[in-house]
Amino acid sequence: MTDLAEEALNLIQSHRQGILQSELWKQLNIDSRKCSRIVKRLLDAGQIERIEFRNEGIKTYLLRAKKKAADPSLILAGCEILPCIRCELECIPEECPLLLDWIYQLALEEYEE
Amino acid sequence: MVTIAEMLEDPAILAYLNRLVGEEGIALIERFPEEGEFSDEELAEKTGINLNTVRHTLYTLYEKRLAEYRRLKNSETGWLTYLWQLKMDRIHAVIEEDIISALERLEARLRFEEENDFYICPRCSATYTFANAASWEFECPNCEVPLEHFENELLISALRKRVRKIRECLGSA
Repeated sequence: MTDLAEEALNLIQSHRQGILQSELWKQLNIDSRKCSRIVKRLLDAGQIERIEFRNEGIKTYLLRAKKKAADPSLILAGCEILPCIRCELECIPEECPLLLDWIYQLALEEYEE
Repeated sequence: MVTIAEMLEDPAILAYLNRLVGEEGIALIERFPEEGEFSDEELAEKTGINLNTVRHTLYTLYEKRLAEYRRLKNSETGWLTYLWQLKMDRIHAVIEEDIISALERLEARLRFEEENDFYICPRCSATYTFANAASWEFECPNCEVPLEHFENELLISALRKRVRKIRECLGSA
């Protein structure tokens, strides 16, 4: 995937409700023709879906990521962030006390629910 | 378009960036001018954040593809100037990469919790697997008090659920 196609996909994924194609090329700072080519490539690769959309009478498309980026809240247990993120310690998951604390927090969250 | 201020309202994204660049790094992201590209010195001046912190934050964000630079060479002096801009729209993909690499560790821990029986010291809370506890004759080697069986079913259930959610989200359930 080219850098621009990846950037377009990231931008589409960051809009969970979708983004208008007419908005996408402006945000990518490219012309609409180039944007159409990138969109076609993403459609062909099955990474996005395209829904016809009329914006003030003008036909455009709503673009939505098929595979949504993972929900960031998956790294949280209560307010505690998963200690593996940016961890520089020697990794022994079975013995990691930080990970155990996070799992306790996870269990507490589940218990409170 | 999701603005940076809106993005930072998400507690998970905020916690992630805090781990990545710290509070001063977040202050730089918040105060980063919306339009254009800027040198590190301009950013330090515009945001009032220490130049070293600005540089450190930009390099850290660059490693994660959350910032980009364009290099300009002064034809007379040969000096290089780096002009920076943020690429925060990549944040979801970046967090997903970290979740993917953490998943293996969570699965390893889950297996360990599922496959072992645990004993705990009622005084110092140190825990031991069955084999370790047996080798100490079920007595805490530090406190010399009898170890008690530790029920880890709640931990297993919570961790199992989170691992399943992650797998579902990544499409690998």
